[in-house]
Amino acid sequence: MDLDALKANLKKDFEEIVSQEELNQLKVKYLGKKGQITELSKNIKNLPSKERPTFGKKISELRSLYEDLLSSIQEKIELQVINESLEKDRIDVTLPGSFKSQGKLHPLTLTTKKITDFFSSKGYLIEDGPEIESDYYNFDALNIPKDHPARDMHDTFYLDNGNLLRTHTSPVQIRSIEKRGAPLKIICPGKVYRSDADKTHTPMFHQIEGLVIDENVNFGHLKNEIMTFIDFFFGPDTKVRFRPSYFPFTEPSAEVDIMDNKSKNWLEIMGCGLVHPNVIDMAGLNSNKFSGFAFGMGIERMAKLSYEIEDMRSLFSNDIKFLSQ
Amino acid sequence: MKVLFSRITKAINSKPKIENLCEDLTLIGIEVDEIQSFQGDKIIDFDLTPNRGDCFSVKGLARDYCAYKNKKFSLVTKNFFKGETKFNKKIKLLARDACPAYSAISISNLKLKKKFPDYIKNALKAAGIQSIHPLVDIVNFVMIESGQPMHVFDQDKIKGDIEVRFAKTKEQIKILGEKNLKLSKDCLVIADKKEPIALAGISGGLNHSVSKKTKNFLIESAFFDPAIIKGKARRYGFQTDASQRFERGVDFNLHEDALKEALSIIQEIYQADISNIETTRNKYFPKKKIIDISLDDVNLKLGTDLKENTIKSILKRLEIKLIKKNKKNLTFEAPSHRFDLSIKEDLIEEVARIVGYDNLPQIKNDPITQYYEKSDYDFISQIKTFMINKGFYEVINYSFLEKQSLENLGIDHKSISLKNPLNNSLGTLRTSLLPSLATNLEFNINRGQNFLKIFEMGKSFSNDKDMEGLNLAGLIFDDEKFKNWNTNQNYDFYYLKGILENLFEEFRIEKIFWKKSKNHLLHPYASADIFFKNKLIGSVGSINPRFLRLLGFNKSFFYFEIKVESLPKNDLGKLNAPSIYPISQRDFSFEIDNKVSYEQIENCIHISSKDFLIDIKIFDVYDGKNISDGKKSIAFRVSWGSNKKTLSEEEINKEANLIITGMQKKLGAILR
Repeated sequence: MDLDALKANLKKDFEEIVSQEELNQLKVKYLGKKGQITELSKNIKNLPSKERPTFGKKISELRSLYEDLLSSIQEKIELQVINESLEKDRIDVTLPGSFKSQGKLHPLTLTTKKITDFFSSKGYLIEDGPEIESDYYNFDALNIPKDHPARDMHDTFYLDNGNLLRTHTSPVQIRSIEKRGAPLKIICPGKVYRSDADKTHTPMFHQIEGLVIDENVNFGHLKNEIMTFIDFFFGPDTKVRFRPSYFPFTEPSAEVDIMDNKSKNWLEIMGCGLVHPNVIDMAGLNSNKFSGFAFGMGIERMAKLSYEIEDMRSLFSNDIKFLSQ
Repeated sequence: MKVLFSRITKAINSKPKIENLCEDLTLIGIEVDEIQSFQGDKIIDFDLTPNRGDCFSVKGLARDYCAYKNKKFSLVTKNFFKGETKFNKKIKLLARDACPAYSAISISNLKLKKKFPDYIKNALKAAGIQSIHPLVDIVNFVMIESGQPMHVFDQDKIKGDIEVRFAKTKEQIKILGEKNLKLSKDCLVIADKKEPIALAGISGGLNHSVSKKTKNFLIESAFFDPAIIKGKARRYGFQTDASQRFERGVDFNLHEDALKEALSIIQEIYQADISNIETTRNKYFPKKKIIDISLDDVNLKLGTDLKENTIKSILKRLEIKLIKKNKKNLTFEAPSHRFDLSIKEDLIEEVARIVGYDNLPQIKNDPITQYYEKSDYDFISQIKTFMINKGFYEVINYSFLEKQSLENLGIDHKSISLKNPLNNSLGTLRTSLLPSLATNLEFNINRGQNFLKIFEMGKSFSNDKDMEGLNLAGLIFDDEKFKNWNTNQNYDFYYLKGILENLFEEFRIEKIFWKKSKNHLLHPYASADIFFKNKLIGSVGSINPRFLRLLGFNKSFFYFEIKVESLPKNDLGKLNAPSIYPISQRDFSFEIDNKVSYEQIENCIHISSKDFLIDIKIFDVYDGKNISDGKKSIAFRVSWGSNKKTLSEEEINKEANLIITGMQKKLGAILR
């Protein structure tokens, strides 16, 4: 067989190979003891010495062609073997993942967090206070003396040990001023209690209240704080209105409304005002030197507006179908 | 307060659209609750704040509206009145400033001249005031219009002269509505020579009230100090139209004019013999309040740049009179109808109200930049986040529940109850979060849930020195027959313990100890009490079956509750670089008495192998086949290492042998 024919056969054989077994047979066919290339190299000694180098070179070219073909086919076959074994690991990727272990925060906690995050980023300290309060902190210190008609606005739960359940988070203001003095910048979320229950009232609910005290704090600062907050919470195009109101612990006092774009009604969202000088004095600061503003809102109401909850009571039913939304 | 729209337009002498009128009133602080249709007219229901007693009438509202709109307004049409007969009783004002002025008149021989006018009937109907007797209706109508409550007595029932005084010991009065009130010494009464005939400013006495048979009438119109009226009606559990007005303050210059207005209406409708108006005043008659304020006071508080003239003219519109002026201060006199004006802040609010809150500037720089360290609240927030990442849903429950539910569980001692609960099921403050979470579980099981992982962070209450403390409680219930196809989680004691261990680790809380629980609510042999240092901070385990039945469950659940306030709020301390030398490990398996706790084994290993020990990891606990009765097999891997060198084979062998001997000698354990 001449060399060129052998070369052509070799290429053709490698092309047809599909398995390791065939590859082994090919090895025998060309390079085995009686293999075709082996046989040809044996012939070299029968040639005239002049022709031997050329022939030898051709043989070695043939061998290196063989090696090249071998290594490329070897790689191809190995890959094929891996692929075949991987196919046995086939899974259904559309089956659900292993048990999903992620709970959720209560909507009221999420709402509180959204509000406290905003104010703590503005430097407010988050403060908390007791839910069982004395008459003094809940009323007197907030300029609501005994028999004040404003006490009627607070349907207070009284306790058998002579205390009461706080009707608002405002007592925290007083406790905080007493503890930390001025300047002061606090935001106080927490549970409050009033004896009231219907679709829009639950006997326990949540408020959040802010207080800033320093020298020369004025109504313009308060307006700015509220406007910035409303932009953040309800979006920058929210229509806002301030109107006079009455709280014994602020003077002037205001109620803040936002425009509900769907119903075109004003919705009351918070109360605020400049801290009443009596409150500042009673808490141990001098109202001639210090002034401040305070604001407060119901967290249920904010949650209701955020999540479009219709019945406030569903917030306390703790139905997992509601909570896991 | 409900009033007819038509009465307001009459009082303001113009006819704005009802929406515009309501909007304007809202913007000056008079909130409109509701508008209803009424016989071709409208009823407006106002939600008045308690400081604005002056707006508790049609004309009071109109006065404030006209001040805002800068329109002329006059409250009373000056009625001329001259009595024909002589008022024949003496009026003694014995309660000093509680009642410094009292006017009265008597009427007899009442004869109807013309039909009783509908506008009076309608105004009363709209206000929700019952029609009682034509004369009473007329004075009530004047009250709605002007704000001055008046009272009509049956004069023949009054014995002798009239006294205004405080109640005497053991005095009683039966008021309209058949209530018998036991009076205390701080109750102001109108009395004849025998007994109280009215609870002043609140309600007339039933025994002296008018009826169809009444022939001779006595009408009272007086000023009562709001401080005396405040809270009295509420103390006896009711309110009246009079008490609501008097406790907020009724114009102290109004009582005579209002009476004249009532008389002019009476004379228009009736022919009658009317006496002179008998007015008695004592020296305690109130004076108008004087308030000093400066231009700076206003502008500094409002952040405005208002001129003195603007302020003066605004206050003038509100009948707040400038009476003196010097370099520093303006001195104003508050009108007799404004009980809410006494300090300069009150005047500042008046200026702001009329300028319009929305027209006040917004000042963009922060008043103070004050930054604080991390608050305790962040800790609470982080714990909640930790819990949801462990797969728990957060619940929030009422702080109060039925006392019985605490009694059933034997956790009612030291509980605090409400004096005035909404109902019995919300009568007592919870001493533990368990009953609430159990209720949540029951609720959800009833709605088809077979699996529940919930937690709550809330206060529990008890009659101790600290009446409240913040707790974290969690519950796992697993009755799911068809598990997720690829999940094999066992929800047991160790699962919950593991979560709590993670929690303590997350917040770098060390010195936590677990002991067999003494909590009677939990399974006595499969629950733990948790101690921080030496203080009990909580428990974890399955609920004792005898309470499960009481709670209404037939399958157990796992529960924990810890006192969060007992835990330290640790920050990340110093960080140590990890050792660059390899760690060596050996596995051990011992057979040991079943009663020996893991804690004992752990302590024994720590005492035996003091050098280089890094970690002990239990990988098997077994007490079945091939293990003698009363024994268990426990297998663990010990790791040693040093940050100075690689440990040698000999060093490891030495430590391993120390453990084997220690376990044998101290705990009778045999290496398997």
